[in-house]
Amino acid sequence: MRTVRKTLHIRYLLPAAVVVAVGVGGLLTSLSAGASTRSRTPSGANAIAAPTPPIRYVGTFTPAQVHEGQVLFEANCSSCHGTQAEGSALAPDLQGLGPATVDFWVSTGRMPLADASVQATRKPARFDNQQATAISAYVASLAPTAPGFPSGIPYVDTKASSLSMGNRLFVLNCAACHTITGAGDALADGAYAPSLHVATSTQVAEAVRTGPGNMPVFGPGTLSNAQVADIVAYVTGPIQHPNDRGGIGLGGIGPVAEGFVALLIGVGGIMLIAFWLGERA
Amino acid sequence: MSTTVPTTTGSPSRRRSTPVDSGLGWLDDRLGVAKGGRIFMDKIFPDHWSFLLGEIALYSFVVLLATGVFLTLYFVPSAAQTVYHGVYKPLDGVKMSEAYASSVNISFAVRSGLVIRQMHHWAADVFIGSIAVHMCRIFFTGAFRKPRELNWIVGVSLLFLAIVNGFLGYSLPDDLISGTGIRIAYSILLSIPLVGSYLATLVFGGVFPGNGSIIPRFFILHVLILPAIIAGLIGAHLFMLVRQKHTQFPGHGRTEDNVVGSPMFPTFMAKTTGFLFMVTGVLWALGGLAQINPIWQFGPYVPYKISYAVQPDWYMGWLDGAMRIMPSWEFAGFGHTIPFMIFLPGVLFPGLTSILFIFWPFIEQKLTGDRAEHHLLDRPRDRPRRTAVGAAFLAFYFMLFCASSTDVLANFFQVSLNVVLWTFRFIVFIVPIIVGLFTYRICLDMTGASHVGKRKRAVLIVRSATGAYTTVDTEARPGDGHHELEPMLVPGFIEGLDGDGAEGGEPGVRRVVRRP
Amino acid sequence: MSDVTTDEPGDREPGGLAEEQAPSAPLPLASFDDPHLQPLAKQPGRAEGVVGILLVVGLLGFAAYGAVYWVGGQPQVEGISLGVGLFSFGFGLSAWGKYLLPQGPFMEKRHKLASSDDERAAMAAAIVERGGMMVKRRSFLGGILGIGGAVMGVVLAFPLLRSLGPVPAKTFDVTNWHKGSRLVDNLGRPVHVADLEVGGSLTVFPEGYTSEEAMAVDQTILIRIAGPDVEVVTEPSRATWGPDGYLAFSKVCTHAGCPVGLFQHQTLQLLCPCHQSLFNVGQGRPATNVFGPAPRPLPQLPLYVDDAGFLRSQAGYDQPIGPGFWERTTT
Repeated sequence: MRTVRKTLHIRYLLPAAVVVAVGVGGLLTSLSAGASTRSRTPSGANAIAAPTPPIRYVGTFTPAQVHEGQVLFEANCSSCHGTQAEGSALAPDLQGLGPATVDFWVSTGRMPLADASVQATRKPARFDNQQATAISAYVASLAPTAPGFPSGIPYVDTKASSLSMGNRLFVLNCAACHTITGAGDALADGAYAPSLHVATSTQVAEAVRTGPGNMPVFGPGTLSNAQVADIVAYVTGPIQHPNDRGGIGLGGIGPVAEGFVALLIGVGGIMLIAFWLGERA
Repeated sequence: MSTTVPTTTGSPSRRRSTPVDSGLGWLDDRLGVAKGGRIFMDKIFPDHWSFLLGEIALYSFVVLLATGVFLTLYFVPSAAQTVYHGVYKPLDGVKMSEAYASSVNISFAVRSGLVIRQMHHWAADVFIGSIAVHMCRIFFTGAFRKPRELNWIVGVSLLFLAIVNGFLGYSLPDDLISGTGIRIAYSILLSIPLVGSYLATLVFGGVFPGNGSIIPRFFILHVLILPAIIAGLIGAHLFMLVRQKHTQFPGHGRTEDNVVGSPMFPTFMAKTTGFLFMVTGVLWALGGLAQINPIWQFGPYVPYKISYAVQPDWYMGWLDGAMRIMPSWEFAGFGHTIPFMIFLPGVLFPGLTSILFIFWPFIEQKLTGDRAEHHLLDRPRDRPRRTAVGAAFLAFYFMLFCASSTDVLANFFQVSLNVVLWTFRFIVFIVPIIVGLFTYRICLDMTGASHVGKRKRAVLIVRSATGAYTTVDTEARPGDGHHELEPMLVPGFIEGLDGDGAEGGEPGVRRVVRRP
Repeated sequence: MSDVTTDEPGDREPGGLAEEQAPSAPLPLASFDDPHLQPLAKQPGRAEGVVGILLVVGLLGFAAYGAVYWVGGQPQVEGISLGVGLFSFGFGLSAWGKYLLPQGPFMEKRHKLASSDDERAAMAAAIVERGGMMVKRRSFLGGILGIGGAVMGVVLAFPLLRSLGPVPAKTFDVTNWHKGSRLVDNLGRPVHVADLEVGGSLTVFPEGYTSEEAMAVDQTILIRIAGPDVEVVTEPSRATWGPDGYLAFSKVCTHAGCPVGLFQHQTLQLLCPCHQSLFNVGQGRPATNVFGPAPRPLPQLPLYVDDAGFLRSQAGYDQPIGPGFWERTTT
C-alpha cells in the first residue's frame, strides 16, 4: 500500500487523463451529432410551404418587393449587369432567367462577385433572404421567365419525401461531382463542385433546376418535383448530418485522410510505444 | 543423446521439487522438450526499439485474424440481390447485394460489430504500414545481407500478399467506392497483352461485373487462401529468424559471434505480451473512435453510378497515383491494341517493383562485391549510397501516393486540377533525385562528425558568479549502468534465490540494489 | 535404400536447436546479487506500484466494456473503454518486463549455421548418386514420368482455370445498342426529346436490357447542349448523330472503365471521376480526350428522334467501348 500511494504521480496520470479526455470528447461529439439529427424537424427549413405539393414555386411578388429589389439592384448589381439587368461586357444578361436563378446566386453569397475572373465562391451572403427575394422579384419583373427556367423560387416540403429514393437519385446524379459525402471536389481547369454541407433546401432545389455554372440542368423532364424533394431531403438530411456512428468523420474524404490517421496515429503512435519499450542505443 | 549436459555447482538437486518439475517430467518423457525448451527460453532478443517494428506487423496480423473470424460470422459473401429493411433508414427499401446488406448490418445491428469491423480495417492499414516501416529498418541497416537474403524475400512476399489481401478485403462490402475499385482492377487484368481478355473473364466469371461470382471468389481468397499463405510465410519468417538468430547494432560487448539483449523468458515475454495488448488497445480505440470506410454513407455498388474523390486504401495509393499521372499512351496496330496507359502503371510497374525488391540483396552484392556474412548491422550513415537510394525510393513511392489524391489536393489548395497533375508528372521524378542527393550529403557529413549516434550523457550547465557558463557531467542515468556491464550468458541456475529462505521471490524485485 | 551409406562424418547429435548449444558447455550459474539480475528501475517498489495501477486501470477498462456491451453498446464508449483497458493492461505488463525483471545484458553465442564440407558433400552425393541409381538405364521410365507429370498438370488446370468462366470470344466488342434501340433511363422510362433542358445530362440504356451486366456495358451518357432543331455535329462524318442538341457517348471511360459521370455544361466537358481524364464534347468536339490518361475519345452513339418524339439510336457503337485490350482492332 505504501508504495502504491507514493507512485500516484502526475507524470503517469497526465497521459491517462489525456486519453480519457479525448475519448469522452469524441463520445460527446458523436452523441450530440446524433441528437441534432434526431431533433431536426422533418419538414425542412420552410414552414410556409403547403403540405400537399413537394415543391411550391413562388413567382408572384408584391410591388413593394419589386421596389425594394430595384433599389438594392441599382445599388449593388447594376454597375455590371446594367440597370435593366440587360448585361454588359462584364456580366451576363439576367433577363428571363427567372427568380430562382437570381435568388440562388444572391442568397448563397456568390453575387455580388468579388473577382470576376474566377468561379464564384459561396461566401457569407450580403443580403438576407427577404432582400434576395426582393432582388429576384425585381429581375423577374423585367422580362417573362424564359422556357426551361423555373417560374418561381422553389420552397421544398420534404414531409412526404423518401430518403432512400433521395439516396439513389443523389448517387446517380450528384455524387459524380459533389462526392458521395457531399464534400465537393475539384473539376477540370480550376473549376470545382462546391460542398453541399451548408446549402439550404431552397438553394439545393434552385441549383438542381437552374444548373448554376458548370452544373448540369435537371428540368422537370429529368427529375419530377417529388424527386427533387427527395434529393433535397437526402442532402439536408444524411449529407449535411451524416450518421458518423463510427466516430470522428475525418472530413468525409475517404482513404486519403484514413491513410494519414492509420500511418501517423496508428503506426506512428505504436512506434512511439516501441520507442519507450526498447533501448535507444 | 549420449552426452549429458554437465551442470555447475547450482545443481537441480538442490531445488525443492515443484509441480512444474513433475509436469515437465511427464511431458519430457514423451516428447523430450526440456533441453530444447530451455534453450529456447534463453533465446536472446536485442533490446533496440527498432526490433519491435516487425512485432507491430505480427500483432496487427493477430488482430486481423481475430476480428476477421468475428466478421465472417455475420458477413454474407453473396452478390444476390436483396432489399434492405434494416436499422439505417436512408437505405430502407434500396436494392443491394447481400454482401453490402450484411456489411451494413454488421455496422448497425450486430453489437460491437461496427467497432470490430472498423478495427479490422484499421488493423489492415497498420499491418501494411508496419511492414513497410519494418522493411525500411531492415533495408537501411543492411539486415538483409548474407545469410538473411531468403528471409528478406519472404518478407517482401508478405508485403505484396498483404497488399493484395487488403485490396480483396476492401472490395468485399460491395459498396459504391469498392465496386469502382474492382472495376478498375478488371480493366487492369484486361490490359495484359495476349491473355488479358481471357484472364478478365476467367477471374470474374464473365464480363464485368461477372454474374455475381466475384464476391464469393474474393471472399474465399481473402479469408482462407491468402491468410493461410500469409500465416505460413510468417511461420517461415520466424523460423528463419530463430534459426539464424537476430542481428544487432554494434556496441559494447556485441560481436559478430554473439547476440546481446533480453532472454525470451521472462523479460522479453512480459514486454512483448504487453506490447501485443497495447497494439490491440490502440487498434481497438481507433476502431471505436475514428470512423473508417463508412459504407452506409456510400450506398451499394451499381455499375453505372460513381462518386468523385474515390481513392483506394493508402497501400494501393502508389498504384492509383501511377495510373493518374501516366500519359495517355496506347499502342494500336497489326490488329491488336496494347493499352500502355494502364498496363504500364497497373501491371508492369508493380511487377518490376516486386522483382526489384525481391532481388535487392543480390543486386547489392553484385554492386559492392560484399559476399561475407553479416550479423552486426550498418548504421545508415555509414552506407551513404544505400541510404541515399533507399531514401530516393521512399520519396518516389510517397510522391506516387500523393499523386493518387490530385483531385483532393487541387480542391484543398484551390488550384487547377490540370496544374496539380502536371506538377506531379515532374516532381514524382525530381523529388526522389533531390532527396537522394540530399541524403547522400547528410550521410557523408554525419560520418565525419564525432559522437554521432553515441548515447549522450546529460550535462549540467552551471553559471558561475562571474557569469561564465561551464558544463559539468552528471551522474549516469538509471539504466546507463547496465550498458557498460559485460554481457553474460543467461544463467541456468540462480544461486541464493531458493533454499536460503530469506528471499523466495523473483530475483531482484523486492531487493533494492543501488547501482554503482 | 537404407543400406546405402553416405559416410556420415562426425558424431554430432541430430536435431535443430539443441545442436547449436555446444554439448560440452556447462550451464552458467549466477549469484542472486549479480548486477545482471537487478531490475532497471531505481526504485523497484515505486515501479511496482505504477504497474499495479496500470493493471487495475486495465481491469476497470475491461469491466467498463463489459458493462457497456451489456446495456446495449455504443461504438465510441466501447472503443474508449476496451481500448484504454487493453492499452493500460499491456502498458503495465510491458513496464513490469522493462523495469522489474533482470536487465542483463545477457547474450547467447552465435554458431556457424553452415554444415561442414563433408556433410555438404554427403548430402549432395545422396541426391545425385541415389537419384542416378534410380534412373540409370531406366531413362525411358523417367521420360514417361516426366510426360505424365506434365499432362497431369495441364489436365488439372482445366477445372482450376477453365471452369472459372467463359472465354471472351467477341463479348468485348459488342453492346446491346442496336439500330432503333429506344433510350431509357435507369428506371426504364423512355427519354422524350422534350425531357432534357439545355445543359442537362442523363444516364441512359437501350430499352429492354436491365441486367447489371448489360447496364454495366451499355451505360451511355446523354447530354443536351443546344435547343430544338440544332444538329450537333461532332465531326463531319457524324452529321446526323446529334439531333435537337442531344449527344450520347459511352459512359465507360476508355482509360480504366469508370463511369464518366461528370458533365461540365458550361465548358462542355466530360470528366472521369476516377483518374480525371477529360473529354471535350460539342460542335466539332467528338469527346476528344484532351487531358489525363485516357487514350481515346469516348465512342459516340448516333441518335435520332422517332415520330413519337422519343430518342433512339441509329445503330450500335461503331467500335468496342471502354478500355483497350489485346484483341481490340478498331482504333
